[in-house]
Amino acid sequence: MAEIVIDGIPYSFEGKPKLLDFILSKNKDVPFFCYHPSMSAPANCRMCMVKVGQYVKNRETGDYELDDQGERRIRWFPKLQTSCNMDMMDDMIVHTHETDDLVKRAHKDTLEMILINHPLDCPICDQAGECPLQIQTYKYGPEGSRFEVKKQHKPKHVQLGPRVTLDAERCINCTRCTRFTDEISQSHQLTITRRGDKNHPTTAPGTVFDDPYSMNTIDLCPVGALTSTDFRFKARVWEMNQTPGLDITNGKGVNVDLWTRDNVVLRITPRHNPHVNEYWMTDKGRDAIHLYNEQRLSTPAIRLHPNDSSLVMTSWDNAYQTTQEIVESTDTKQILVLGSPYASVEENGAWMQFSESILKQSPSYTTHIEKESGDDFLLVDDQAPNTYGCELLGLKKRTKAAFKKAVAEAKVILSLHDDYIERGWLSEEEIKGKTWIYFGTNHTQMAKAATLTIPITCAVEHTASYVNVDQRIQRTYPAKETKYTNRRLDLEMSEGRLDRFGTKFDHWVNEDHKVDCKPLWEIVGDLSLLWGHTLSYRHGRDVLDALASNIPALEGVTYQAMDDQRGILLTSSETQEASS
Amino acid sequence: MSQKSSDNGASLSQNGTSAYTFTKEQLAEIEVLKTKYPEVQAVTLPVLWMAQDTFGHVDPEVQRLVAYTLDLPESHVHGVAEFYTQYFKTPKGKHVLDVCTCLSCHLCGGMDTLGYLENKLGIKAGETTPDGEFTLQEAECLGACGYAPMMQITNDVYVNHLTPEKVDQVLDQLASGDTPDFESIPMPLVSTTSNNEAAGGSDE
Amino acid sequence: MSDWTTYEPVLIPNIAGLDRLETYRKHGGYDALHAVLHDQNTWPDPASVVQEVKEANIRGRGGAGFNAGLKWSFMPPVDGGPRYLACNGDESEPGTFKDRKIFEYNPFLFIEGATIAAYAMSITSIYVYIRGEYRSWIHKMEKAVSDAYDAGLLGQNILGSDFSVDLVLHSGAGAYICGEETSLLESLEGKRGYPRVKPPFPAQRGLWGRPTTINNIETLSNVPGVIRNGADWFKSIGAESHPGPILYGISGHVNRPGVYELPSGMPVMTLIEEVAQGMRNGKKLKAIIPGGSSTPILPAKDLEDLTMDADALRGAGSMMGTAGMVVMDEDTDIVETLWRISKFYHHESCGQCTPCREGTGWLEKILEKVVTGQGTTRDLDLLLDITSQMEGRTICALADAAAWPVRYTISRFRDEFEARCKPSLIPVG
Ligand SMILES: Cc1cc2nc3c(=O)[nH]c(=O)nc-3n(C[C@H](O)[C@H](O)[C@H](O)COP(=O)(O)O)c2cc1C
Ligand code: SF4
Ligand code: SF4
Ligand code: FES
Ligand code: FES
Repeated sequence: MAEIVIDGIPYSFEGKPKLLDFILSKNKDVPFFCYHPSMSAPANCRMCMVKVGQYVKNRETGDYELDDQGERRIRWFPKLQTSCNMDMMDDMIVHTHETDDLVKRAHKDTLEMILINHPLDCPICDQAGECPLQIQTYKYGPEGSRFEVKKQHKPKHVQLGPRVTLDAERCINCTRCTRFTDEISQSHQLTITRRGDKNHPTTAPGTVFDDPYSMNTIDLCPVGALTSTDFRFKARVWEMNQTPGLDITNGKGVNVDLWTRDNVVLRITPRHNPHVNEYWMTDKGRDAIHLYNEQRLSTPAIRLHPNDSSLVMTSWDNAYQTTQEIVESTDTKQILVLGSPYASVEENGAWMQFSESILKQSPSYTTHIEKESGDDFLLVDDQAPNTYGCELLGLKKRTKAAFKKAVAEAKVILSLHDDYIERGWLSEEEIKGKTWIYFGTNHTQMAKAATLTIPITCAVEHTASYVNVDQRIQRTYPAKETKYTNRRLDLEMSEGRLDRFGTKFDHWVNEDHKVDCKPLWEIVGDLSLLWGHTLSYRHGRDVLDALASNIPALEGVTYQAMDDQRGILLTSSETQEASS
Repeated sequence: MSQKSSDNGASLSQNGTSAYTFTKEQLAEIEVLKTKYPEVQAVTLPVLWMAQDTFGHVDPEVQRLVAYTLDLPESHVHGVAEFYTQYFKTPKGKHVLDVCTCLSCHLCGGMDTLGYLENKLGIKAGETTPDGEFTLQEAECLGACGYAPMMQITNDVYVNHLTPEKVDQVLDQLASGDTPDFESIPMPLVSTTSNNEAAGGSDE
Repeated sequence: MSDWTTYEPVLIPNIAGLDRLETYRKHGGYDALHAVLHDQNTWPDPASVVQEVKEANIRGRGGAGFNAGLKWSFMPPVDGGPRYLACNGDESEPGTFKDRKIFEYNPFLFIEGATIAAYAMSITSIYVYIRGEYRSWIHKMEKAVSDAYDAGLLGQNILGSDFSVDLVLHSGAGAYICGEETSLLESLEGKRGYPRVKPPFPAQRGLWGRPTTINNIETLSNVPGVIRNGADWFKSIGAESHPGPILYGISGHVNRPGVYELPSGMPVMTLIEEVAQGMRNGKKLKAIIPGGSSTPILPAKDLEDLTMDADALRGAGSMMGTAGMVVMDEDTDIVETLWRISKFYHHESCGQCTPCREGTGWLEKILEKVVTGQGTTRDLDLLLDITSQMEGRTICALADAAAWPVRYTISRFRDEFEARCKPSLIPVG
């Protein structure tokens, strides 16, 4: 094993790690901009300088050469080195800014240079508060600027594509964005244009940056040069809170962070998971903010007369009683219960139990696969986040034809989530005359056509797990409060500054952002009480525990285990590990 | 500057269209160029040159033609065209006068030459005369430092040892549709034992 | 040193029509390549050629002055894959205009040299990168290359041997930075000319990831002579530590500017007074820039016994560079001259790395302030500070090339700068 001494402390290492990576992994700091662990290292920002040397060994004997004081002699590199592209070698001696003034000076100098043509508009910049340039300038930068001549001006608010806006004056030319489109998404839509201090990223004239992964460049950009067209100027980062979650817009199970303020999801960013999505996510997945915030079903609603064009709000009690009346007045053979790959494992599990104990039948489900819509990366054909979860629970899968037949034969349908109309599987004509009770999250076409709608929590309002296309089970956390939850009491919820200090008398706090909906497991618990059954689940965890003790594939699967292992692969030995 | 026609090379039609086209001969020439390098990308510069020599510039439309022809990303061709100063990213005058004002030329009156041309043409460096005849540009060192002041004409011949009279003469020549000849500047004689006037052969 | 007045040029001898292949061959051209390929006794293997060239100590004429043979010896063992020689004819450093003389007057000497180098390093393809502005000279080279192919001197089975190599001419398109060897490789690969981070060095991973050697045109043109006459002959020419013929480019305020082939180690004053026939209009000499714009300026008082070779110039506080000497007379405005040099580097920085992208522009803008009388003495110290923030901190040496002139011109002509500045008592840092 090889050894290296960093700031006087020896470390051993194997292989050929890059110096910067290694130093960071030891919880020490070296400032950097252009380096990214998933991409090539152009070493162009010149920020990550360290002083490097090596002990001198006698060629013949292999012994260390000693100086007059009897200390090992060190041969220093004549210049400071960038650590991001430096391969570690045995007997290396490294000084970071902590132990070398020249390194400290280099950091200060580089920051001064970066800032001379920078607009210094942090007060109006989206990146402020999470900006590596801002942070490093505070930590390592010069006290003031000595730049008293004219700044180089470059294009501002350039719409690079439908979702990404560029302010070239803020750009520090780290080339992370162009390397992303060259090396990761491989759309090659971006290039650096011009030369010297006129350099900045751009698309070819007349082309747009519509790469399905384009918004990753916003996260990658170490300054506020690339911003989200949608999110621009919406919020300061320190006003939001960040909750881990999952991208439910397809079956890949991309790990995300949900950024909320006053119970509105303002943006979604990828969360690193080496097993699933590395550092990336699709642009489509970020669009889910609209799904979570807008057009939500809130408070149950009922169609009073079959010919009414719309539904009217009703109470939860009335919704439950109506459900009971409908079910009890119908032969169970004429009732169809539909589970959904859009709903979590816990929801489908509770749904199944309710259906089996009260409606005397197993729910069935249909998959939503769009052939050819996937790529080799994070887009997959499976449009739903939990198809494997349904399979795992033993829900009966129906083909489109079988599904249509079952719907045609049923009088009463209880369905979850899926919008069969939007998908083109059912027409409104085909549902006419049927009693359709829809348990959903949004004002979908299905909701509009239903007889009764019961609003359930969406993926950002509850804790629940989803099994992705690779059969990895992962879970969500509640990021948004509903009318019935409270972040101060629910320890799984995070609190941002405004959540902590706002009261409902403050103009920035808005009760309307809380949706009147309940987790499905609570709803079926309440419903089953009407039949004298007690199916009471307070939390997704209760459902999962019950399922884990019944379903072999889920043995040992807990939220804790999912958190510890960044999700659990259900097909491999990882499950066993989890249970042992 | 013809519209894209259907019979003009497979590589172009695959990807899209450009307002410009290469001739069949040019496409064949590009195929030959490609054989000289292990990767297609390497012909980006030569093909941009070919395009500029044909269309007079490599504006975004021409860049697109190059990208389609070589089946390379448009952004790549654009980034390359923008990096190199000799490529004209916008159409220029019929004659482009690149006057060197760099170190040696600066010492020997390059700025005066530029000023003389600005006055004479009634435009500033970087501009084109209203009749579209001349574009005047300030250039960095062109590798003719000993023959300062000098200028290059439309990316081609150098005219050296400029004086106002010589500038006038060159402009007249260009205006009359003629281009100055290549000036072979012999190596001055150093050896006292030799009786030739100058070392190095002449052009012919 | 030997009497320069009797020196017989070898790179560009005084023979008319050497740019015609038959003339070139009539005067011993291609004898060296023939010997290397066929004279088994003298040249048993490619390594023996590398050894001789190393022995001759041809110090790179592109600016860095590195022993060419030693550089060749860094090429890894042959593994059956392609290996490249990239010939650097970018010639864009202000004050430098010598390689074009070879293209024009003795193209086959260079082609022969490159072919021998290719044989010595088992190169499979030679690429000759010529700056795009040299269109006229590229045309001359195209003719020469095609003649060489026709005569079986390039291509398959050269001179009937089993050695084959191709030579491709590649035109640049206006970018000084492409003279930097790794930027040149990027440009050859069809990209923006961004210099590469080293390591890996081109000998390990060069063109298309394969072993590559980069040499200047003049460097390679010295190779046939070394092969024909031996390393000792070469070492007997000029200065001991930096031997061989040199194409001195002399420009600026002299009576007879131009390119002169003379032995290395020529006394600077001889070059000015005798070779270039003295100062124009009888003016007095003020300073020279000895080897292209990046080499530190030397005031006249330091030139008395100075010779043009790497060691002597280093001793005097400058460098040999490309031996493109720029001569300035007493009327020269040093402040404005420095501003013009800085403008050049600002224009040519590729913009990849922070200190160079930002620093070159900052230098130029402050100097512009000083030139127009808006500067303060504090600005001068700031300029010096900025140079220290650029030197040794970047991917390639352009930042150093931009910093050196500023550092040394201000320190050596401080009074002239101060005379243009308002005083300032605020310290700079
Ligand atoms: C900014 C910069 C520009 C350069 N320009 C040239 C050039 O125009 N021609 C050249 O031969 N070498 C140039 N060089 C030097 C090359 O990098 C390289 O050292 C040289 O081509 C190697 O050949 P040699 O060893 O035969 O001199 C330049 C170097 C730098 C840093
Ligand atoms: S826009 Fe951002 S990511 Fe792209 S080069 Fe500039 S600073 Fe880097
Ligand atoms: S030093 Fe300058 S020219 Fe060289 S790579 Fe860096 S920015 Fe480009
Ligand atoms: S992080 Fe190392 S140079 Fe940018
Ligand atoms: S300075 Fe004008 S050609 Fe070199």
